[in-house]
Parts: sequence; C-alpha cells; structure tokens
Amino acid sequence: MPEGAGPILECRGVRQRYGKRTVLTLDDLVVGGRERLAIVGPNGAGKSTLLRILAFLETPVEGTLALAGTTVGTAAARRAARRRVTLVEQRPFLFRGPVLANVAYGLRARGLTRLEAEREARNALAQLQAQSLEHRDAAQLSGGEAQRVAVARALACAPDVLLLDEPVSGADRAAQHSLYAAIVAAQARRPMAVCVATHQLEDAYRWSDRILALHEGTPAPVTPENIFRVDLPGGGPMQQVRVGDVTFDVVSDRSGPATLAIPPEEIVLSLEPLHSSARNRVAGRVIRVAEQGAAMRVTLEGGVELVALVTRRSFEDLGLAVGRTVYASFKSVAVRVF
Amino acid sequence: MTWPQAEILGIAALSLRIALVATAAACAIGIPAGVWLGGTAFAGKRTVLVLLNTALALPTVVVGLLIYLLLTRHGPLGALGMLFTWRAIALAEIVLAVPIAASLSAAAVQSVDPRVRRTALTLGAGRLRAAWAVAREARFALAAAVAVAFGRVLSEVGAALIVGGNIRAETRTLTTAITLATSQGNFGFAIALGLVLLALALTVNAVLQLLQGRGDA
Repeated sequence: MPEGAGPILECRGVRQRYGKRTVLTLDDLVVGGRERLAIVGPNGAGKSTLLRILAFLETPVEGTLALAGTTVGTAAARRAARRRVTLVEQRPFLFRGPVLANVAYGLRARGLTRLEAEREARNALAQLQAQSLEHRDAAQLSGGEAQRVAVARALACAPDVLLLDEPVSGADRAAQHSLYAAIVAAQARRPMAVCVATHQLEDAYRWSDRILALHEGTPAPVTPENIFRVDLPGGGPMQQVRVGDVTFDVVSDRSGPATLAIPPEEIVLSLEPLHSSARNRVAGRVIRVAEQGAAMRVTLEGGVELVALVTRRSFEDLGLAVGRTVYASFKSVAVRVF
Repeated sequence: MTWPQAEILGIAALSLRIALVATAAACAIGIPAGVWLGGTAFAGKRTVLVLLNTALALPTVVVGLLIYLLLTRHGPLGALGMLFTWRAIALAEIVLAVPIAASLSAAAVQSVDPRVRRTALTLGAGRLRAAWAVAREARFALAAAVAVAFGRVLSEVGAALIVGGNIRAETRTLTTAITLATSQGNFGFAIALGLVLLALALTVNAVLQLLQGRGDA
C-alpha cells in the first residue's frame, strides 16, 4: 500500500450464503485508498460475489464492512456508500438510449443538470478513447465497446473505489491495454482504490499491487497457477504422485485427494538438465512469456503446464523465447500440499 | 327496432369515459404497487403474489355486489349518493382492474434482468430512480398490463349492471345495452353494439401501440 493512503474498504468476518451453500468466507480484507487489488480465481471461486458485497449491492449474512473507517450497517448507510463505490459488471448492462446518456446516468443521479452531466460524461468517454461512441445507440455496441462505455460511466461518477469484474473479457489485446491505462491515468488524477476480478493472471501480476486468490470462496494460500488436483498414494513423507504425463516427488504424510501448488518463484529454469538437489525436473517448451514488473513469467508445456518466475536478467541471459526448450527444476519441499 | 343514433353515440361515449377513467385510476394505483412488489424482497411476498393472482379471478358480479352494499343508501358510503351513477361503475371497474395492473406489472418487473437495478444502484441512483430504470426496461410488458386492464374494464358487464342499473342515458354502457338488446330478442342490434365495442378497443390499443413505438425510437 503506498504511503499516505489509509484503508478505504475493510471487511471483517464476512460470510455469504446462498440457501445452504456458503459461497464466500473472508475473515479479513483491507483495501488501501490508492491500492490496486487483483482478485483471481477460477469460475465459481466467489470473485463476483465478493465484488457485489464490496459494492454494497449484496449484504453478507455475517460480518461487517467499513468504508473510510465508518461501519456501513444500515440500508441508508449502504445507499450513501454506493455513491462512493462503483461496480462494473462482467457483462455490463447499458440502459436503452444513446451512449452519452448512459455515461451521464450516475452524474444525473447525483443531481447534476443535464448539461453538466453530459460535459463530464464526454470527459469520461475521452479518457477511454471512446468519444466517437457518444451518439451511438447503446444497444448497438460490440462487447468491447460496451465494456469501455461501462468503465467510462463508472469513472464519470468519480468513485473512491472502482470495482471491475473481468473488465477485459470481450476486448481485444489493444483494448485491454487502453482500458487498464485509462484506469491508471484516472488513479493518477485522484485517489481511488481499484479492485479487479480477473482470471488472466498475467494482467493481475503486471497491473496490481496485491493479489487476493480465491478458491471455493476462501482466500487461497497461493495464486491459482501450478495447481494440480491429485490423489496421494500415501505411505510416508516422501511420495511420488502422477500429474499429467509426469511424476512429481512431494513431501506429505497425507493420502487421498489433495491439491498440489508449486509457487512460480520456486521453479528454476535452465537450458541443460541440472545436477542438483532438486528432485523434480520437467523438460518442456516455452509457450508463453509475460512481463511482471522486473521479472518475467514463463509458461512452459512439458506433459504438464508450469509457470516459472525468473528475473529479466536471467531471462535474457538464457535467451528464453517462445518455442525454446528448457528444463524446470524444483525441490520436493517446494511443492505445497493442501 | 333500433335506437336513435345519438343515443348509441352517448352509450359508446359513456363506456369509453368509464373505461378510460377506471383504467387510468387502476394503473395509477396498480402499476407502482406492482413495480414495488416485483422489485422488493420481503417475507410473505409469495403469499401476497398468490393473493393478488387470486384477485384476478374475482367474479365481477361479486365485486358489483360488494360495491352495491358499500354505496347503497344505508351502506358505509351511502351518503355519497353514488349508487346508479357512472362513478359507481367506474369505482367497481377500478376494484376489478387494480389487481390486473398490479399483478402483471409485478411479473413484468420480475422478468427484467437483475443487472438493471444493480447498475442503477451502483451508479448512485436512489430507490425511486432505480425503480424507474427497471420500469423503463419493462415498458412493453407494462403497456400490456395497461391494455389488459383497459380490455377488462371496457368489456365488463356484471358489476356495471348491478351498481349502474342500466339506466337509459345515465348508466347504460355498451355491455349493459347489449344485455338489454339480447333480452329483447334484438340480436342484430346487440351484435352491432358489440362491433362498436370492439372498434373502441381496437382504437385504444392502436393508440397504445403507437405510443410504444415512439418510446422505442
């Protein structure tokens, strides 16, 4: 969390149930006033539920939420809070009529005159490079255009917290970049926390300050990559378990169904097989490469898909590129079993 | 045997007046109630919806009887002197049409994509503005509710007969006139009155349709 920014959102002991099914269990989540939080996890992990709760659109069955240090407990408080927190849904809904009226909606709801609201709305559209859509019929937009308009509509409200549910689904790569760039630029103009639910980890890593990984409604100890569901044979601390087309050595006393996780930073990449203490070695081909700050995320396929995190310098020294054959090594104690 | 043209015009005009007044009043009460009902979660909501849907099956003569008892000289509202006036018919039709407007608009609102309300709320809309956004999205189904209410009111005969009395030039509507013509064996004339009624219904529905088309542009 950058200095000088106190928490804007705080969740304590939040539980959400639909019928008898618990869909979210979140004991503690604090979002800083300028923070960029990525919420990652597979479908059904509880990302959208969490965002709706953070948006004060859904009330959890247990737990408390606070906005800027004040507990939000009553319906009136939630209404007031919604003026400061705005959610852009995965498939955003645009009201009937022209794009400009859509983007002006939140401003009109805040009592601005039509002229004032439309001026602000044009500014917001310009931030998303979507001025040309101003007069278009909202119903006629493509998925990516609708997404941009929805983000412009949310930014026009000048929220303290912007929540985005899979904001780049339905957008091409260039559109994704401009969408994130616009959000970063908006954050530079005024303090705003941004929480993004995404399943694209490359985006999450490149873009966020912090990652919250959800797994079946609860925070997962690791990010959802290099995760494998296995059946442990049991019979001792050192076990061999089949994953995809390869066999991993793991250290665990458990037996039966379990989840293995290999943290990407624990994987060593080399051009030749390593003679080392690492018990696990996978030969594979690089299939994806992405930047993550000063590091590179390298995805390789070798009977099983693995993501490794290496420094940019190592990446360059090894001359890694898509299509290159590499060896991934990791110790059996690095494999987490849960 | 036919009736003077001026009298028929008067009957048609009275029918139209009662139908328009009753539909307007019933929709003014029923649609907001239905929009609220459809868009709000509360304990016992299902029961209320079941009761409302049951009210759709209210026999018109029973409503006529209740209004009669209410408005009769010694009834609770006897002092108003409304019995056997067109206002009494309008009142009975309102009672019949409110459940239609409420039930159909509740269903209309319930079928609207839940994202509409969420989107309005997350953009800072209050409850009223959010309800308006939902109603706008449900406008076709709401217009259908108005049309159905109007149809019920225009074609209703049982209650109109009981509380209106079918008094010539006072409370004789197209439907009560048809009843009378039929009882007199004047079938051709009764059918002609029926056609006038249909023509009225067609005109009003065409106007509704035109208004909808404009709203869609």
